[in-house]
Amino acid sequence: MTPLFPRQSTRALSVAGLLIALFFAPRSCASQQSASTFDDLASAAAAARDQQNIPVAIQLYTQAEQLNPSWQEGWWYLGVLHYSSNQFAEAIGAFNHLLELAPRAVPALALRGLCEFETGTYDDSLRDLEIAAKHGAAADPRNEQIIRFHLAQLLTRASRFQDALEQYRYFATNHINAPDLMIGISLAGMRTPSLPKAVPAAERETLEAAGKAGYTFLSGDSDRAEDLFLQLFAQNPSAPNLHFFYGMLLFAKHPELAVEQFRRELLVNPTSDEANALFAFTSVTAGHFADALEPARLAYASAPDMELAQIALGRALAETGDLKRGAELLEQVISHDPDNVEAHLGLLSIYSHTGNKEELNHEREICRRLAS
Amino acid sequence: MSAKSVEGLPASMRGLALLAIVALSGTPFVHHLSASPPSQSHGKQAQANEASATCGTCHVAVVRNYSAAPMRHAMEPDGANSELIAHPDLKTTIGLYTYRVTTKGGHTTYSVTDGSNTISTPIEWIFGQKTQTWVLEKDGRFYESLVSYYPRDNTLDVTPDDANIKPSTLLEAMGRPVSTAEVRTCFDCHASGLVPGEKLVTAKTIPGIGCERCHEGAQQHMTDAAADNFKTIPKHLKRLDAQQVSNFCGQCHRTFDNVIRDRLHGNGTVRFQPYRLELSKCFVGNDPRISCIACHNPHQPADRVASHYDAKCLACHSSNNASSAMHSAKICPVSKSNCTTCHMPKTDIPGNHAQFTDHYIRVVKTGEDYPQ
Repeated sequence: MTPLFPRQSTRALSVAGLLIALFFAPRSCASQQSASTFDDLASAAAAARDQQNIPVAIQLYTQAEQLNPSWQEGWWYLGVLHYSSNQFAEAIGAFNHLLELAPRAVPALALRGLCEFETGTYDDSLRDLEIAAKHGAAADPRNEQIIRFHLAQLLTRASRFQDALEQYRYFATNHINAPDLMIGISLAGMRTPSLPKAVPAAERETLEAAGKAGYTFLSGDSDRAEDLFLQLFAQNPSAPNLHFFYGMLLFAKHPELAVEQFRRELLVNPTSDEANALFAFTSVTAGHFADALEPARLAYASAPDMELAQIALGRALAETGDLKRGAELLEQVISHDPDNVEAHLGLLSIYSHTGNKEELNHEREICRRLAS
Repeated sequence: MSAKSVEGLPASMRGLALLAIVALSGTPFVHHLSASPPSQSHGKQAQANEASATCGTCHVAVVRNYSAAPMRHAMEPDGANSELIAHPDLKTTIGLYTYRVTTKGGHTTYSVTDGSNTISTPIEWIFGQKTQTWVLEKDGRFYESLVSYYPRDNTLDVTPDDANIKPSTLLEAMGRPVSTAEVRTCFDCHASGLVPGEKLVTAKTIPGIGCERCHEGAQQHMTDAAADNFKTIPKHLKRLDAQQVSNFCGQCHRTFDNVIRDRLHGNGTVRFQPYRLELSKCFVGNDPRISCIACHNPHQPADRVASHYDAKCLACHSSNNASSAMHSAKICPVSKSNCTTCHMPKTDIPGNHAQFTDHYIRVVKTGEDYPQ
């Protein structure tokens, strides 16, 4: 099994070292410095760094940057050395300088994101890591684990649970395992916008077990995952969001089974807007429009801005006879989300039922375009 | 294999694909249908025949006709399939592996060998009456057979959507492992007796589509009718409009919504008749002349003679309709017979050894690509 998340100092050095390979820039700026002092400082800093004399290297790079603040390589190594020394605020400062000079320095963005994670500036960290990942920082398999894990935690904290689970899927499909990973998966699956390190010790065991069940599902072994979830349900019959978690995992490929999990979630957690909305939406996708009506009404009444509730209620109303109100809700979705395929499918169905051929053909073409 | 293409169907939907390759016609097999699964441990069509109170007690003609309908034979139990009885020793070699399907003494065995070792397993579930794929069970796990039987060419060949699988072990050559949830999806459209939202229990299923599967409440109606209570009659499906019928049939044959949501493309979509029909310019939900059941009686085998459908086309495309309440459509300048041969062309799916009628009704242009 691949070791994940080693001790912080080791991890910092490792990640920095790997990212260096992506970013390393020649000392082009330094060459413009005629003063031998700068060259001497730069050489001495590099030598100290090579000898792992980190405090001295930091001092020398700092002095060199004072002489030549446009020296990108110096800011890079200064940031990396601070990061390696767990001096995250100072590392952020160095990377800020570098990113002002080279805004497309994706490795610097990734390392700044990791530093921001450590200093607790999570929104900044999420922004940086997401951009870095989008631009290939996680494409290198050696960097992928640490960037994805931090990104997944931050996505969970930001309540972007499905995006987080997609990041965690990478670990499951590659059979990479660790206790904090299980807790992270569990938090994302159980809609808890928190970080694994914030989980009280008393709750860790249950969350690890739930995370293990989710991990097993994401790894592709849905039969074993079902056994694990059934054990969890038996041990925690009134725990909120457990059935929701399993339902969300089932939803993409097995909506006919997911709907039952959402129904059971509502028995435990009857006021959950998300569970009501998903129960309604899953019933809609299964063509059980009458079943969708009541939970959709509840979800919409409680969370009228929730798009899923608008879609589920709009479609359920339309398919059970209230075409006018259904169309209004679906048009409302399209007004702020013009390419929402579910809303267009709902309108298509309304125009089909009413015989409005022109609008029907129009919606049909939109749906085909959105599916292409 | 793309998760979005029909050629690489999402795993959960492969079972549905099987339904679409079920060939038509068959010998009357079941004369009386029970609405519910048997209470005994192993469900067989024979048990349904033996039920004391059945749908056929009152609905004699419908049940008699339906006994020969392809949906009734969407799955057949071991020993009941006429194709396998007629072809008791089927054999093919694909790559390093030789497959053999032998039927003897009312039982069929599926075996695969690499020349040194052999795996043999009984076939318990036959998906399809003519063209057929088998779900196998070995050591407590389910597998979809890697080869299927194609009656048009009287041959075994690679199962639809499995062409990209390159087995490296004998077990992989036997079949594609499928989760219980995926197998449940297959059974849901090929058998009866599944409990909505519940895990599959194969012993409680009955091969083929029984009355209750479409006529929800049939079992209750049968019980009540035996006591002269006719207040619990199942919903009249004839009252559904064309859009609702399309959605209803699409539960298994795939709806327009399903195909758009799953972004399915390619010739393989020809198997999804409700989707293809809804692409037609003439499809509109409030016109009963374009409903699935305007042309097809689900209780009977589909008619294979093109002229059988002429009257259905002319119900719209005829000058006789000019004064009718329903508006008429353009009149074909070429012919008034065998309309489907031009406007609903037969389409091949590569590797499927079968042709399907494209239900996308249109003016077909010579040399045009398969319209998505």
